[in-house]
Amino acid sequence: MNTTIKEQNGELVAFFEGRLDTAAAPQAEKDIQPLLASNGKNIVLDCNALEYISSSGLRLFLTVLKSAKAKGGHVFITGMNNDIRNVFSMTGFTNLFEFR
Amino acid sequence: MSNKLTQGWDKLQARSSLMLLIVAAVIIEVMAVVQYVFARDGIRNEVEQRARTEIKLKNLEIQNVISDVEVAINNMQWLIDWAASNPDSIYSTLQLIIHNNPIITGCAMAFEPNYFPSKGEWYEPFAGRSNGLTGDIVHRQIGSAEHDYHKATWYREGLHSTEGQWTEPYPDDAGSKMMVSSYTLPIHDRNGKVIGVFCSDVSLEWLAELFGSQAGAYTFLTSRTGRLLACPDKSMVMTTTIQEVAKQFKDTMIDVVNANMLAGDSGDASVKDNDGQKNYMYYAPVEGKTGWKMAIIFPDKEIYAGLHSVGKRLTIFMILGLLLMAYIMWRTFRGHKRLATVNAEKERIGSELRIASGIQMGMLPKTFPPYPDLDELAMFGSLVPAKEVGGDLYDFYVRDRKLFFCVGDVSGKGVPASLVMAVTRSLFRTVSAHTESPEQVMTQMNNAMSEMNESSMFVTLFIGVLDLHSGALAYSNAGHCPPVVITGGSVIPIEMDANIPVGLMPDWQYSLQSTHIDSGSTIFIYTDGLTEAENAEHQQYGEERMNSTLAEVGNKSPREVVAAMTDSVHAFVAGAEQSDDLTMLAIQFIKNIDV
Repeated sequence: MNTTIKEQNGELVAFFEGRLDTAAAPQAEKDIQPLLASNGKNIVLDCNALEYISSSGLRLFLTVLKSAKAKGGHVFITGMNNDIRNVFSMTGFTNLFEFR
Repeated sequence: MSNKLTQGWDKLQARSSLMLLIVAAVIIEVMAVVQYVFARDGIRNEVEQRARTEIKLKNLEIQNVISDVEVAINNMQWLIDWAASNPDSIYSTLQLIIHNNPIITGCAMAFEPNYFPSKGEWYEPFAGRSNGLTGDIVHRQIGSAEHDYHKATWYREGLHSTEGQWTEPYPDDAGSKMMVSSYTLPIHDRNGKVIGVFCSDVSLEWLAELFGSQAGAYTFLTSRTGRLLACPDKSMVMTTTIQEVAKQFKDTMIDVVNANMLAGDSGDASVKDNDGQKNYMYYAPVEGKTGWKMAIIFPDKEIYAGLHSVGKRLTIFMILGLLLMAYIMWRTFRGHKRLATVNAEKERIGSELRIASGIQMGMLPKTFPPYPDLDELAMFGSLVPAKEVGGDLYDFYVRDRKLFFCVGDVSGKGVPASLVMAVTRSLFRTVSAHTESPEQVMTQMNNAMSEMNESSMFVTLFIGVLDLHSGALAYSNAGHCPPVVITGGSVIPIEMDANIPVGLMPDWQYSLQSTHIDSGSTIFIYTDGLTEAENAEHQQYGEERMNSTLAEVGNKSPREVVAAMTDSVHAFVAGAEQSDDLTMLAIQFIKNIDV
């Protein structure tokens, strides 16, 4: 699991690579701290290279969402594969996030 | 272990460690002493050997030179005889001797009074180098009333001896100022009558080099009477005697010198100098007619210097080694204690977790069949947490011939998840007591949990209400994976609205859905710990495997369905560590025809 954060066009983009499972969640949580510290910028969660997400991963996304919303920002998710899309629709997370 | 027992054990360990250390120290010490003694004896033997070799070598070198001179002079006798008929021809013989023997500084043939009537009472033809060992060879007649050699000791002793002999060395005042010793030889005529003494002065300068300073040893040469002829300290040569040197020692060296060395013996002695330092001494006479004595002295300090420095280093290493050993023992000991503390702490947490696990499991209905009186209902549930405590839950109860049930999965694992799980289960019971509609139960639970959710924990939850008369199933789903309905060989997932998990957003309106369960069909509700169970290659068990396994067990009893699923998952993960809680709840509805 690899998480990198870049700033592109005034947005913070987090690239997730690999499997965001329960074992990888603690490290990923550290890696996304810059997202939580940002002040109202829009955030993009790039899932093009994300293979799998567990409920711990969903919780992580949710943390980002809550923090961004509290500061008036938006969180967009992009590049989800079918498995992850299924997880999102099954858990109703499609109702919470915006997608690109 | 009781505290007292633990302390006793610590003490025992500390004591045995100390004993070990002492034993090691003693062994090392004894080894060091034994090694030291052997090494010292070895070195001592070595030194004795070296002393003997050294003295023997010097003996040989001295003899080489001395015997050369003796042979040269002894061989000259016939020439002297021949020259006796012509007193002036002696000079050429003398010159020849000087020429052929570089260390002979001068030689003279001293005749008895009036041996040659023409030459008078004193006739002593002499030849020598003009400047010690170098320079031209000059000759002259040196006998006179002033230089009355007939009265000189060398002459008188030489005249009366039967063979050649060496005089006590002396500084050659006349010519070279060098230390010389004279070799005197009585000369006889054809009738055997002594006619004079042949005397050749031999320079002893070469001895200085032979007895120069030497690392770790002190060698010296004395004359017959004990006068120092050669030693590293040049100022003592000819000016002092071995007796005087020996007298300065408090020790018994003088006795050794007088009784043994000057008597011509050879042997060892151990002598102390005035500082109390021991010295090893070996002495031996120079073979031949000179009567000289040699001795070599090794100060113990020098002999054993190497040994002592090695000994010192070894001692330091030994001490460092023992300190290191003590440190390691202390660390090990402390490590053990710390480990014991850690273990005790672990034990405490473990036991608390076991208790927590007991409490948690106690919340779940686990008597199966739960309602033996209800023919229309067969059920079996199983929850296997990945850790001691988990975040999965299931619950059910029957009210007004309706089965209220739920299966949930708290995000995350362990103690935090288990707390949320307990809250969820309590809320389910509390909220569902007042309403029959699952979506209202869900909505109220969500409102309650969202308000107090600081840590973004959430629960995917499926709540169902099964009418045991009709088989009508009302349900609401909060992001939980869809349960399946097994009817014979068909496995159909229940349709799901996309509602968000519980605990995320207050005021979310959960939707109500409903379906009909045929008699004999089994509702199988599970958590993603089942479908996402992984083997060592990170492959997931998946819905397809689940569905085909469920299709195989068909309409068997819920207990058998859950057992078959458990076996199937175990076979799939093949011993890989369980990463998520695994919950299964199977509910079989059998319509009561009588009603």
